[in-house]
This record gives sequence, structure tokens and C-alpha cells, in this order.
Amino acid sequence: MIWLEYAIFQRALIGGIIIGLLTGLIGVFVVRMRLSAIGYSMSHSAFAGAALGVAASIDPLLTAIVFSAVTALLIGPMADKARLPIDMITSIAFSLNMALAFIFLTLSPQVGLSSEVASVIWGSIVAVTNRDLVYLVILCSVTLALTYLFWKELFAIMFNRRMAEADGINTKPFIYFMIFLVGIVVAFSLKLVGGILVYALLFNPASSALQYLHDMKKIVILSPVIGAISCVTGFFMSLVFDVPVGSCIALVSTLIFALSVILSPKRKREVKT
Amino acid sequence: MAPIIRLEDVSTVYEGEKRPAIRDINLTLEEGELAYVVGPNAAGKTTLLETINGLLPVFKGRVLVLNMDVQKHGKEVRCQIGYVPQDFMVNPGEPYTALDVVLMGRYGKVGIIRRSSREDRERAIEAMKLLDVEELANRPIGKLSGGQQQKVMIARALAKEPRILLLDEPFSNLDPESRDKVSALIDQIRKEHNVTTIIVTHDIHQISISCRRIIVMNGGRIIADGEPSKALKIFEKFLPLEHWRDWRNSP
Repeated sequence: MIWLEYAIFQRALIGGIIIGLLTGLIGVFVVRMRLSAIGYSMSHSAFAGAALGVAASIDPLLTAIVFSAVTALLIGPMADKARLPIDMITSIAFSLNMALAFIFLTLSPQVGLSSEVASVIWGSIVAVTNRDLVYLVILCSVTLALTYLFWKELFAIMFNRRMAEADGINTKPFIYFMIFLVGIVVAFSLKLVGGILVYALLFNPASSALQYLHDMKKIVILSPVIGAISCVTGFFMSLVFDVPVGSCIALVSTLIFALSVILSPKRKREVKT
Repeated sequence: MAPIIRLEDVSTVYEGEKRPAIRDINLTLEEGELAYVVGPNAAGKTTLLETINGLLPVFKGRVLVLNMDVQKHGKEVRCQIGYVPQDFMVNPGEPYTALDVVLMGRYGKVGIIRRSSREDRERAIEAMKLLDVEELANRPIGKLSGGQQQKVMIARALAKEPRILLLDEPFSNLDPESRDKVSALIDQIRKEHNVTTIIVTHDIHQISISCRRIIVMNGGRIIADGEPSKALKIFEKFLPLEHWRDWRNSP
């Protein structure tokens, strides 16, 4: 564990834990509110934004946030108002964002060589700075505070959006805000996890936690823990095997999901009955 | 008595469709009134309920509930309506207990940011007791039978202490004994608390004996509205022959 004596790895490890907790928590809302397609699209939008930042020599975090925010503002109302299936909108947004991302990366003056380009695509342990950690802690605190404040509303929307609406909850602002939050969380997670695989952290831990528990309150605790475990394990795998950290995290979280499906007590009970 | 629900020349069109699902509906219900809505499939019964509680946008006309326009004050109106949707079934893996679901019925009244109080919980449990599902409170709702889930959904609507009840096929999964008990319970609550109640059914055998008003719908329109005997005579004409025989021969 000689690596951990270096500040650069300490930062990456702490960053990984926070990102794992954050995406694990947000992921529960994404999966339960059936926003997976939108989450997928948002992650690639942040990726395209970060790629533009690299190409234009602007802070990729800033451009990723701007891209995410704009996409969030467009995609929410579009999903509600356009007479097109949501899958169609998000698939088109995905191809557009990926096309833009690779065009921007090609325009980058140091494409192929720049560690910044690599970190945007695959994620990088060395890319996490002290400033990133401060932002992540703030974002995590804000997300936890909002989850606590609006838990009742989120809980009802996750059960059934239409029934929540019938009970007098105005669901639209919560859905739009959640889409926006996904974009922001993805933008902040890009450096460590990479733009191509960041969505794995949004879906896999939440989907794994849902295999074990019947209590939503416990699921919002277990999912971030699985997210953090995925990030820490992926971090060490990346160091040991010298492969991109984003890929390792995605691999670990997928393995945890596969194990969860096999070991799921929910499924076993279903077979018995 | 003051009208609690008033629809004035209302038509509702589903997004992406050209033909209105309900059209030119004029309807008034007074406080504490009970009305059954009957009609064949696709008559517009569910659309009528979802138009009254503002879940569907009004294409033409005006819907006033508790003297509020539902298009402008939908949230406030829905806080006063206990709604049981048609065939609402929960998947076995859903991570919610029956009590969670019943308690949710009060969320709109509790208000944003505030937590449910002990009183809210007590009301939820009382509603579950009325429906004989109290012992299921901590079981995952998805693991309950169809009939038990339906009772939980009715308990959710009652826990709200609503001024209006909109029940869409609320007895469809209940056995005859439970159906009679739940029907009597709803009637008792309606009388005690002056709750305006609309119950949708496609099975006229489920109509309570205390019902004094039946609204018959067909093709998105109200074709009869009045006393059960008169309304059902009109309904006969629109029923397929085998259904007509069934209900005429029933006790």
C-alpha cells in the first residue's frame, strides 16, 4: 500500500469514495423514477461538454456542467411535451453527444497525448485535485440535505409518479431537478471515472441494492455503500493492473450486480412461492 | 346543498389523439352525494374520474371542484380527493410496505418539506383497521394478494380524510363478502363525513343498494343520469345481449 503514502492517490481514493456514495444515492432515484435513459443521456452530455473544454482549453468541469445543465433544461420539458417516446429522444441525444464529444476531442491540440483527454474518456486517478475534492464534498452535502428535506416527496414519486400526483404532490419540479442533479453529479465524477462509463455507477449500485432489500430507506443507504465499494475496489484494481480506473469501477460494479442477482433473497422467496 | 363537483361542457383529449375520450360532459354532484358511473369498456369512465381530479388536461369546458378550477388549482384539489385507480397492482419486488403506501395518501396534506407526524401515522393505521388489513402493515405491498392490495389502496384513499372519493373499479379484486363489507364501509364514511363519492364500475351487480344516482356513459358521453331504475333501463340498450341477460337475471 505504498501508493497511499502519496497525496495524489489519497485524493483519488477519497474522491472515489465520495463519488461512489453520491452516484449510489442519486442512482436509486434514477432507477426508481425510471429515468435510466435520461441518466444515460445526461452522462454523455457531460462527456461532450468536458471534451469541448479540453478542445477549447477551458476547464472541462465548467463546460461539462454547462452542457449538463443545458441538456437537463431541454430534456425534461421535451420528455413531457414532445409527442415522441422518451427512448427516442434520449437515443438521439446520446448519438448527438457522442458525435460532438469525439469531434471536440479530435479538435484538441494534444489529442492522443494529453492526459486530460484520456481522463475525460476513461477516467484518471491522477486527475483529481484538492479543488475537485472540495467541490465533491459540497455537492455531496447539498445532495444529502435535499434528499433529507424532500424525502417524503421523493419516496412517493419513486413508488408511482401518477399516484404521487393524485395525492397532491407536484411531481414535475422534482423530476426536472433530479435530471439536473444527475447532470451535475456526472460532471463532477467525470475526471475520475471517465465519460464513457460513468453511467455504470448511476445504475449498477442501485440495481444491486434493489435485489436485496424490501425497504426503500435501507436501499438508499446500501446503494451508496455499494457505489463506494465499487470505486475503492476499482481504484486498487486500476493501480495493480495499470488499466483505466473508470473501466475497473464499471467492471466491479457490474460484478456486484451479477452476484446480487444470484444471491438475491427476494428472488429466492419468489421461487419458493 | 352546494355543488362540490361541477363539470361544464367538458371534453378531454389524450395527448397524441384526435378523438376526445370524453365529450360535452355536464355534471354536478352535491356534498355527500353518491353516484355510480357505469358503462361498457372504453366508455370514458376512468377518463371522467381523472378529469375531475385534474390528472388529465381539459381540452374544452371547465371543471370546478370545491369551487376551484382543477386546471389552475390541481394540487390543492387533489389534496382533498381520495383516489383509487383501476387495477393498480404492485410488483412483488417493490420496496414499500403496505403502511408506507397508506401513509403516502396523507403526504399532500402534510405539505412540502414537513415530515409525517404521529397523527398521520395513526390515521393511516386507523384506515387500515377499517379495511381489515392492519396486520399487513409491515409486509411488502407487492407480496400481498390482489384483493389485499386493493384494500390497501382504499385505505390509502380513506387515510387522507378526503372530502371527495373517486373510486375506479374498487371492488374488482375482492371476493363477494369483502366487496359487500367494503361497499358498506364506504357508504358509512360517506354519510358520517359528507364525502361526495363517485364509484366507477362496469359490473352493475356491484352497485350498492343505497345508491340513488347512476351515471351511464357510452362512447365518451353521458347517456343517462338519474335514478338507478331509469338509468339502467337506458343502459340495457347499450349492453351486449349476454350482459343484459346476466344482470336482469341477477337477484
